[in-house]
Amino acid sequence: MKALLAHIEISPEIHNGFTDAMPMLMAALILLPFLGFVFNFFLGQRLSKTLSGVIGSATILGSFIIAATFFAQSISGSFTSHQVCLMDWIEVGKYKFSFNFLIDNLSIMMMLIITGIGFLIHVYSIGYMHHDEGFSRFFSYLNLFIFFMLLLVTGANYLILFIGWEGVGLCSYLLIGFWFKNQEYNNAAKKAFIMNRIGDLGFLLGMFKILDVFGSLNFSDVFSAAGGFTANDPAIVIITVLLFIGACGKSAQLPLFTWLPDAMAGPTPVSALIHAATMVTAGVYMVVRSNVLFALSPFTMELITIVGLATALFAGTIALFQNDIKKVLAYSTVSQLGFMFIALGVGAFTTGMFHLMTHAFFKALLFLGAGSVIHAMGGEQDITKMGGLSKKIKITFITFTIGVMAIAGFPFTSGFVSKDEILLADFQHGKIYFILATIAAIMTVFYMFRLWFLTFFGSFRGTHDQEHHLHESPPSMTVPLMVLAILSLVGGFVQFPHIFGGHDYLNQYLSPVVTNTIQEIEGADKLEIEILIATCIGLVILWFITKKNYAVSEFKGEYTGFKKVLADKYYVDEIYEALIISPFQKMSAFITKYVEVIFIDGFVNGAGKVAQVAGSYIRLLQSGHIGYYLFAMVISIVVFLLLNTIIHF
Amino acid sequence: MNAIIALSLLGIFTLFTGIFNWRKAMLPIVVIGLAGVFVLNGMDYFTTPSWYADYTHMVIFDRYAVVFSAALIMITAMLFFLCKQYYQKEDNNISDIYGLILFTLVGGMLMASFSNFAMLFLGIEILSIPLYILAGTKRLEVTSNEASIKYFLMGSFSTGFLLFGMALVYGAAHTFTLDGIRQYTDAHAGDLPTIFVAGIMLMLVGMLFKVSGAPFHFWAPDVYSGAPTLITTFMATVVKTAAFAALYRLLFYTFGSAKPIWFDALWGVAALTMIIGNFSALYQHGVKRMLAYSSISNAGYLLIGVIAMNTHSANSIFYYTLVYSLASLVSFGVLMLVTQDNGGDDSYTAFKGLARNNPALAGLMTLAMLSLAGIPPLAGFFGKYYIFINAMENGYIYIVLIAVANSLVGIYYYFKVIVAMFAKDTAPTKIAVQPAYLFALVVAAALLFVLGIFPDWVSGLMN
Repeated sequence: MKALLAHIEISPEIHNGFTDAMPMLMAALILLPFLGFVFNFFLGQRLSKTLSGVIGSATILGSFIIAATFFAQSISGSFTSHQVCLMDWIEVGKYKFSFNFLIDNLSIMMMLIITGIGFLIHVYSIGYMHHDEGFSRFFSYLNLFIFFMLLLVTGANYLILFIGWEGVGLCSYLLIGFWFKNQEYNNAAKKAFIMNRIGDLGFLLGMFKILDVFGSLNFSDVFSAAGGFTANDPAIVIITVLLFIGACGKSAQLPLFTWLPDAMAGPTPVSALIHAATMVTAGVYMVVRSNVLFALSPFTMELITIVGLATALFAGTIALFQNDIKKVLAYSTVSQLGFMFIALGVGAFTTGMFHLMTHAFFKALLFLGAGSVIHAMGGEQDITKMGGLSKKIKITFITFTIGVMAIAGFPFTSGFVSKDEILLADFQHGKIYFILATIAAIMTVFYMFRLWFLTFFGSFRGTHDQEHHLHESPPSMTVPLMVLAILSLVGGFVQFPHIFGGHDYLNQYLSPVVTNTIQEIEGADKLEIEILIATCIGLVILWFITKKNYAVSEFKGEYTGFKKVLADKYYVDEIYEALIISPFQKMSAFITKYVEVIFIDGFVNGAGKVAQVAGSYIRLLQSGHIGYYLFAMVISIVVFLLLNTIIHF
Repeated sequence: MNAIIALSLLGIFTLFTGIFNWRKAMLPIVVIGLAGVFVLNGMDYFTTPSWYADYTHMVIFDRYAVVFSAALIMITAMLFFLCKQYYQKEDNNISDIYGLILFTLVGGMLMASFSNFAMLFLGIEILSIPLYILAGTKRLEVTSNEASIKYFLMGSFSTGFLLFGMALVYGAAHTFTLDGIRQYTDAHAGDLPTIFVAGIMLMLVGMLFKVSGAPFHFWAPDVYSGAPTLITTFMATVVKTAAFAALYRLLFYTFGSAKPIWFDALWGVAALTMIIGNFSALYQHGVKRMLAYSSISNAGYLLIGVIAMNTHSANSIFYYTLVYSLASLVSFGVLMLVTQDNGGDDSYTAFKGLARNNPALAGLMTLAMLSLAGIPPLAGFFGKYYIFINAMENGYIYIVLIAVANSLVGIYYYFKVIVAMFAKDTAPTKIAVQPAYLFALVVAAALLFVLGIFPDWVSGLMN
């Protein structure tokens, strides 16, 4: 075994005490969640729930502290980009793969989001999952999830990224199907797994193409060699389109989005983890990480913009009339991811990352808040049966309200700032994009207000038992909510518009890694003010509309006409069922019935027969008599020597 | 070199423990002793190899020898963990068995490190003679006795050819040292005298017998299935590894430049070995005999590594033998338990329903079978992969095609075991396993997994 932590590659300009310590820190950052997984998986059941919860959370906290250290050092200028080789892995022919990790401003940002929000979700889970018998199993999966996600964002080559990529797919499968006794949940888990596989295939093919074109999967090799290609080079276009297909699967874009809403079958903290801190951000991260390649392919960029826009609108309309609190949030995630991809597509990579971050704050908050509501309602998820909860669960109500404000784009909340930037970028790219994106943003406000009013206002519509049972969640759940609420409120300061006295800290921080291709926007300040005013007006109007309709005492939640089409999600699942799944099943039935029996079985059995007959003759040679064996050997030797002589002379 | 001396002393000491009847201490002594030998051997890895001048070019502990020896020692140590439970009834002369196994290991290490034909011959004999006895250690069983005598007769017959070949080579080259013969071969590469060529071919016959290459494999199925299963394991792992170490060393260090002479012959033997091994395995009803034939077919794959003979070959042969040994250890280990539990029945049916009451054993066996079948990410896959790629580098496409077709055939009979284990109809009782026994199997299975994910940990040891 080659020594662990063998050699360290250091960016040439900087070498100091901290960079020496980085391999150890990096190893610890990644391995801590893994150790947590191992511990909880193998020993968890024998320990108290408190201990396994504490260990599960503490490992993530440890990773967060290390990530924070990296962040502090990167701010102070100890290093800019640093590659750490923890171990050589495989050498296959001319290709060599190592466990290389890249610590630069982009990966540090992702590390902070993953471990920071991941930690809060872990703490929340201690309260939320307390009565579940699979408590330690749950924590082990959560830890494994964080481990793979960290691998994904810290890998210095596409292979490590891919390991993480597949790993989070596995973990999402395990967690969505966590309550595996329910067959419906199992189906949801399978759906997530299969949808992801389709995307993964695209990503894998993209990797092969990269290996073929660049001869390496290392980011540093690929990105520096990419400089030698011209824009729209066919090879680069193929690579980026394939990578984007991968991103579509992970980040739930059209047409591979249907798994994400179903993924809410898992326990609510899992939804928060998948929707906010991990998994869905992977696709965005991968595109941003490969920004050098994508910038070379305007075709792919346009494709991304269109897919993002379509997804934002499509998912937004579906979210309008959903009655399941988690489903609304799930479609809103799909829609918000669409926004991120719009930003990436128009070349505003940092804006995409910015929205990823703020979305992580408020979506984690909203899901955990929804979890708290569900907890209070004794497992009820249907908002038609809620109502008037604002007085019963105050902390949840206040924090959830902040989350709604942020996602709706209430002026100066984090969501406002990031979405505002995306709209500005769209405006620069083309008016039609701007208009469509604005429509999607308006829909966001509508469905969030609807959800909010239905849940917290009007009068209680549930059963008497549920009303009696209503209670605020324990501190382990409410404290994470409060922290996330604060982040959702002020998280936008890192990229506050100039006109309101802000700085573009995030742009500067990411500038060594990410090159935005979008140009400086003319008249941005004026536009900014206009957007602000329009937002305020829009919010007030929507407030009154939704309040009138949804802060009510009776609510059926049944729809007709086009609203029903929306409430039934455009029947996408049914269409997939009819177009893909059932033909597949028919085909496999056909194959089982005919092809299998006639050809495969015929061939295999035939070959088997031939082999067995041949075997039975060969077996006769094995008679068991020594004399015969010796004779056979002599014959063999004679033949062996004779043949050799004939061949050579 | 020190490792060989220490190991011989350990073997003698083990015999003494039998005389003084220190039965309890025997296993710890042997295992700790082997650990010490492993370390002694490992120390040679870091020193530049030197000829042991006092013995005038007899053995050399270069990296090739050290790495192979390390694998031999490790596998033997693991086997000792299985010994205690297996030889419960033959407790009286257990120290003899331990001692003989250790002496066999000495022979194996010599076969990996010889630099003189005399040492090759001595190594083979030191390895073989204890083995003839070991094959008969289940004294009360007829099959065991039969295997012993068959192995002895056939073995001595083939040794004759080996010796005759050596003599002919000596007649031409006037030396027994590998160095000297290599110089002779290099100098006369174009027109080697017939006597030399005949010598090479006869030596090959002898060596191919040892590695059970077809058509010199006739002894193997009978001996493998007749011998006590523990000894069969030993033959399939340690002995096979040693034999391949010797064969490759012999061909690479002496007859390398005479490759045209022996290439076609070995090519044919490799193909024949794979085909006969695989197709016979297909037909077997007993798992033990299936594994015996599987061992033959694996020798065929390994021969591809031998004929490829380029800079990666030694490494890929080593990786393959190590991985194959680990998988064999696990599969024979589980087989022994199942057979004992079923009153000597080693058929596929004996495995039916194993997964239900013995999930750990079924899991281990599944891992071993998957590795043998060459399913990634288990190490068996990379073993085959390296061997095949190695041959492809030299442009030997056809033999690789034959090999790939054969591995597909192999999947059938390996999976048959898995299918039987997970069948639902009958559920055998829970099998009692000693902790040490289980420990060895788990370690081996874990290595199969780890080496599959990090093949580079061992695949580059000889560089």
